[in-house]
Amino acid sequence: MPAKVALKRNPKKNPLGRVFSGNIGALAVGLKYFFDPNRITLLYPHEYIKLRQGYRGYIILIQEKCISCSSCARICPARAMKMLSVKVFDKRLKKEMVKKFPVINYNRCIFCGYCVDVCPTEALYHVPYHDLVYMNMQDMILSLEDFQKEPEDVTAKEGLPIKYIFDEKKGLVKVKYEEEKKEVVQPQQSQQQKENPQSKQVDKGGVS
Amino acid sequence: MASNISSGSVPHLPGMEVTELSKNTYEVYIGPAHPGSGHMRIIVEVDGDVMVRVDPDIGFVHRTMEKLAEGRDWIKNIPLFERMAILDACNITLPYVEAVERLLGTEPPDRARYLRTLLCEINRIASHLYGMGIFGVFLGHSTLYMWAFGDREVFIDLAEQMTGARLTHSYPVFGGVRRDIPDDFPENARKATKYMRNRLNEYAKIFLNNPNIRSRLENVGIMSKNLATELGIVGPNLRASGVRYDVRLNEPYEAYGDVEFEIPVFEEGDSLARAWARVEEIRQSLNIIEQAVDWLEKHPRENFMHEKFWKTAPKLYKDVFSGQIDYAGKYRVKLMPLFASLKVPPGKAFARVEAGRGEMVYYVESDGEDVPYRVRVVSPSFRNVIAFKYLMPGHRLMDLPAIYGSFDYFPPEWDR
Amino acid sequence: MNVWYLIYRVIIDDIIFYPPIYQFLIIPGLIAALIVALIIIWFERKAAAFVQMRYGPREIAPKIGGAIQLVADLTRYALQEIIIPETVDVLPYLLSPIIMIILALLPLEAVPITSIRTYYPIPPDYSLLIAVALSTLSPLFIIIMSWASNNKFAVVGGVRESFIITAYELIAVLGFLSVAAMTQSFNLVQIVNLQMSGKWFGLLNPIALLVVFIAVLMSTSGFPFEIPDSESELVAGPYTEYTGLLYGLNMGGAYIKRWVFSILITIVFLGGWAPYRPTPGIITGYFIPSLIISIKALIVMAIMSFLRSVYGRYRVDQALGIAWEILIPLTLVAFGLGLAEAYFGII
Repeated sequence: MPAKVALKRNPKKNPLGRVFSGNIGALAVGLKYFFDPNRITLLYPHEYIKLRQGYRGYIILIQEKCISCSSCARICPARAMKMLSVKVFDKRLKKEMVKKFPVINYNRCIFCGYCVDVCPTEALYHVPYHDLVYMNMQDMILSLEDFQKEPEDVTAKEGLPIKYIFDEKKGLVKVKYEEEKKEVVQPQQSQQQKENPQSKQVDKGGVS
Repeated sequence: MASNISSGSVPHLPGMEVTELSKNTYEVYIGPAHPGSGHMRIIVEVDGDVMVRVDPDIGFVHRTMEKLAEGRDWIKNIPLFERMAILDACNITLPYVEAVERLLGTEPPDRARYLRTLLCEINRIASHLYGMGIFGVFLGHSTLYMWAFGDREVFIDLAEQMTGARLTHSYPVFGGVRRDIPDDFPENARKATKYMRNRLNEYAKIFLNNPNIRSRLENVGIMSKNLATELGIVGPNLRASGVRYDVRLNEPYEAYGDVEFEIPVFEEGDSLARAWARVEEIRQSLNIIEQAVDWLEKHPRENFMHEKFWKTAPKLYKDVFSGQIDYAGKYRVKLMPLFASLKVPPGKAFARVEAGRGEMVYYVESDGEDVPYRVRVVSPSFRNVIAFKYLMPGHRLMDLPAIYGSFDYFPPEWDR
Repeated sequence: MNVWYLIYRVIIDDIIFYPPIYQFLIIPGLIAALIVALIIIWFERKAAAFVQMRYGPREIAPKIGGAIQLVADLTRYALQEIIIPETVDVLPYLLSPIIMIILALLPLEAVPITSIRTYYPIPPDYSLLIAVALSTLSPLFIIIMSWASNNKFAVVGGVRESFIITAYELIAVLGFLSVAAMTQSFNLVQIVNLQMSGKWFGLLNPIALLVVFIAVLMSTSGFPFEIPDSESELVAGPYTEYTGLLYGLNMGGAYIKRWVFSILITIVFLGGWAPYRPTPGIITGYFIPSLIISIKALIVMAIMSFLRSVYGRYRVDQALGIAWEILIPLTLVAFGLGLAEAYFGII
């Protein structure tokens, strides 16, 4: 059933009633919120939002899974991702060879997530945080090693994790975040840490 | 007030246009660094306190969107066009996606259509709230400003849950969408709509029915039906002047033909009617969100991408969607590597949608390459801006924010 | 009796509690006004934040809710470079904010804040008239300021200021005088003494109170009613060219003016030091009444500040229309009401 037109008019009231009811209505709403404030502000450095898993935050590479197809570099709308030739030890062929791996320049990245979505082997993934600080712009061009590390979530060190939940009366309600999903994420992190040393060893010689 | 230029001889500087002011008037430059809105400039000639000539001076944030688009791959243009109005991201890119889909011959499946409609309406609410907030602060009503921006957060949060990004969603892609809604989304969306309905009543109490604000807006900047059609005004501003035109009504796209909603049309055409039109549109958008969420809940999670792209998908892609891979988000629709080097068959396509501020039009021409041959963008703010020139003269200088704000006009969108 | 005690008495009696000094500089003068500005600006921001889904100032001192935020702001203003544009008329540009502040405080010199004879700054016989007359001086300097700034926005703002002041100061004056008509006296002490029984003139003549309240709100141009310096079309109105401390003085000037009017409202309509009867002695006869008045005036100001979160800005012609078409007749009604009450001996 398609849309239909509804003719409407500005609400009309007689002038005297408008002045009284209008003023009283406005003052009543103001006073209601004055005595029962509905505050949704995040006290940012003291609290931070623990974002959910699908959030498009910083991008991490899992080098083991990368097949050097360059899809990510080709689809990147901001040309933030570039392929870098690296000498690595190929386990299957058991020899050193030059392969291409993506590196990222966060000066340019717009966090559209195309690279993550286009990767045919899920070698890239988002971490659900985005507030990092770099000392200079050179640091924002990541090396292959840095690209594989999950960056340190700086706000998490001092701030209190907060989650906003939806509410019918108050819109968004700030509640403390309970660590429940952590166990799901944990094995992956350990698994990845297990993988990382190998790749690092391999890389060390060959980052050009 | 020491003006060094004597009125007798107007100097002719190369490359500069000098206009002589009539007697007893002076020029005021509102902008380009404006405390309220962004980068705009309006040159106003004022006689005492009454504006006699208003000249919207566009071009301060011109970014050559159309030319940039000619050098980028088809899919890379989606995040580019979003930059025109990031607060209305899905609406602003959807017609481009639709036009390219027409060239590709990939009509999106049902679920994708509903998902797009859902995000479009969330965007529309966020965009209207943004406009109302700016409107409020223009009239010195800081409470509405904060309220609108605070409540906009609710819908931005909904959009974030859905797409993974607060503003630049880059959500629709050729043939489908990039994510499905998370499991708890329907419940959250229903809570948000219920909340927003109550809030709209309070907005009316503190702002629209506030005698102070009403007297600022009523009978200010009246745009007649004739003038509105003559100038080619679009969007809620047009409907506030009594013209029954809405792309969703006249040429239903996506799922708008299947959901039930009303198009509020106001008769008065003054600033107050334009403000009310936005409030009523938010109400209708809430209805659409509820219907879309109901539909999405009832139907299975399939058909979010056109068959042409999804049938070749390897098993991994389906694993990602069902959340088998634990380090990545659930319900993510992976893009085909094909998208990175997409070649669109030659042809011309035209698409339009009703964005938050009005009709958004794209004309896309392809010559079979991996970049578009031409993309022509007509954005709603560009079509609305001319109204200032005709509506403002005759009003007092203090009516400028009341008219300007009521048009909910967005400088990055008019300049592109 | 030693010398130190004598010096102490001299400092206390003849310097600090010497009425012109005490009332101009301490309570309810400059120091009290600064403290009030501290509290009221904080309250204004907090109240607006409560209504507007925010927390308001907090970071400077989170334990007391950011109450000393203004100190930080003032420090910033004080340390900021003062840029004087080349095109301004330097002497009036620099002097007018300072003179404006002084003149804004001057009405306090005419206001008696106790009924003890020794603590009158000036003889109180015509104090209401003198205070009201002095309060109309400071807006002149806003107009001078805007002219000296040599800026279009400033001049437009100055013109608006002059319109608003002409309309609303008149209403405030007439509103105050309607009480003078009731009491047949310009003597503020007598006006307060008549309210001692609990029949405050604000209750007896609410129309006059309402009219004066609105007039003060509009003429002192607090946030949503700052028609002269509405930032959405005039950048900062008369203060456009001002920076640093001078800008801070301008902002403070509006608050001080509002404070002075609040004290007048308190004395004329809200019973002054009413429930309390001053007895001779510095503390009981001078300090405590001045405190009572200050607290009442603070409440009046707090109500004014709260309104910023509910109302928007009027258009200048509408504001003038309200003044000349609605409020002036209302003031006359209040005047008549006062006369009628005096005639029937309700007071």
